Amino acid sequence: MTTASLKGPNWGMVVDVDKCIGCMACVIACQAENNVPLNTQDRVERGRAISWIRVERYWEGDFPDSKARFIPIMCQHCANAPCEPVCPVFATYHNSEGLNIQVYNRCVGTRYCANGCPYIVRFFNYWEPVWPESLRNHLNPDVTVRSRGIMEKCTFCVHRIRRESRKARSEGRVLLDGEVQTACSTACPTSALNFGNFNDPNSKVSKMKDDQRHYTLLDQFATEPNVIYLAKVDTDRKVGAGEAASHG
Amino acid sequence: MASENENSNTKSSSLPKLLVPVLAIGGLGVMAVMGLVAAFVITGWLGQPVPVLGFEQTFDQPIDFPHTIHASTKQLDYVPADGLSTMEGLGLDCTFCHRTVTTQANAGIPSVAFCVTCHQVIGAANNPQLTILRDAANLTNSLGQSAGQIRDLKEAGLSVEELDGAAPVNWKRVHRLPDHVRFVHEPHIRYLTQNPDVVKGSTDGVTVGAAGVCSTCHGNVAAMKQVEQVEPLKMGQCVDCHRDNGAPTDCVACHY
Repeated sequence: MTTASLKGPNWGMVVDVDKCIGCMACVIACQAENNVPLNTQDRVERGRAISWIRVERYWEGDFPDSKARFIPIMCQHCANAPCEPVCPVFATYHNSEGLNIQVYNRCVGTRYCANGCPYIVRFFNYWEPVWPESLRNHLNPDVTVRSRGIMEKCTFCVHRIRRESRKARSEGRVLLDGEVQTACSTACPTSALNFGNFNDPNSKVSKMKDDQRHYTLLDQFATEPNVIYLAKVDTDRKVGAGEAASHG
Repeated sequence: MASENENSNTKSSSLPKLLVPVLAIGGLGVMAVMGLVAAFVITGWLGQPVPVLGFEQTFDQPIDFPHTIHASTKQLDYVPADGLSTMEGLGLDCTFCHRTVTTQANAGIPSVAFCVTCHQVIGAANNPQLTILRDAANLTNSLGQSAGQIRDLKEAGLSVEELDGAAPVNWKRVHRLPDHVRFVHEPHIRYLTQNPDVVKGSTDGVTVGAAGVCSTCHGNVAAMKQVEQVEPLKMGQCVDCHRDNGAPTDCVACHY
């Protein structure tokens, strides 16, 4: 309902789970693009690793006939986000472009938002991020390096949105469909990740999201996510991966 | 016991006489220090802190680059290091050296090679400031100092970029924003060029065009022998201007 009333773009993503091969290229691309700190073994073991997008893997069936299922999960940029009302300093809010914004310089690190998020896509910086000397010049200058004590999450590559819309404005034209691409959607070899404007009825994502396979994650919470998933089609089982959990 | 009591009695009776003036003078001193600290904090909060203890808004650069000579169109009121008695400023546009300001995020500092395209010929051989520049471009040692020799070498096919040992000059940054702010020059220059009535600041002695636009935030750089920050460049100033001109005031316009 909120999405229809917006005048500007409503950025969103359509994830075709049927096309995902679990190659993790999106994870690496995101890590490099957004100056995400390196996840050492120690941090992973303590459950404090930071990964703005992750590919969850499920095994289906017993060994000889087992199948791997993959689903990439990033911040869902919910229109009705559980993380937003709990922030005491308004460091996270919804902007007019359908993005769930995290303002790093406002964040005081209460971690309420991460506790409120049912998708577990918000990450807290427990340590000052450090990179080995060899990676120092690999940092993206367009993205803030988050210091210790603040929350971070997927931004839908808002620096790319800014850059492309600025370019379009300086050339005196409107943004074309597909001009803004996130790091993960650029890296995806099978086009499972598709980024675009839901308010443009002719955009690729607008057409894709009406597919009959579409579903959203945890829709019982009514978070109205801006990330739409298209279920996997399994010719053997004749059910989608979205329903696969109940069939064991 | 009795002697101790006597001692303590004499102490307590003599202490107030000493304490009153000491406390009064000390209290005044503390008040004065607190006042100074408060003044420092308030000026820093509202604009720029008062220039003490290294809080100056200007720095000594590795080369005393005079914007007056390069950007001003006026008669200079001092004698340049070459000893020329009087000269007029060149009146170069800001974009002549800061080339990427109209297209990119950073205004850009010209490379040493760019400086010496003029200064391998222009400027006296013994000018100490230009010697630093020519040393950085490795011109003084390898090419000598006469324009004729340089011309000969250039005709031999040696370009400035190919010279060994050319090193950038370690300029100190005067206008610095915090790391969580993304400022892009290009849309600001574009908007101010299209809306000249919004341009603030003095353009006295500055050429028209982009230079006048730059003075909105950078002041009249053409009149500065040493560049200093004249505007506070705090978020309040950004937001005021954005609000007045209908620019986005969304947090994520600058913070991402």
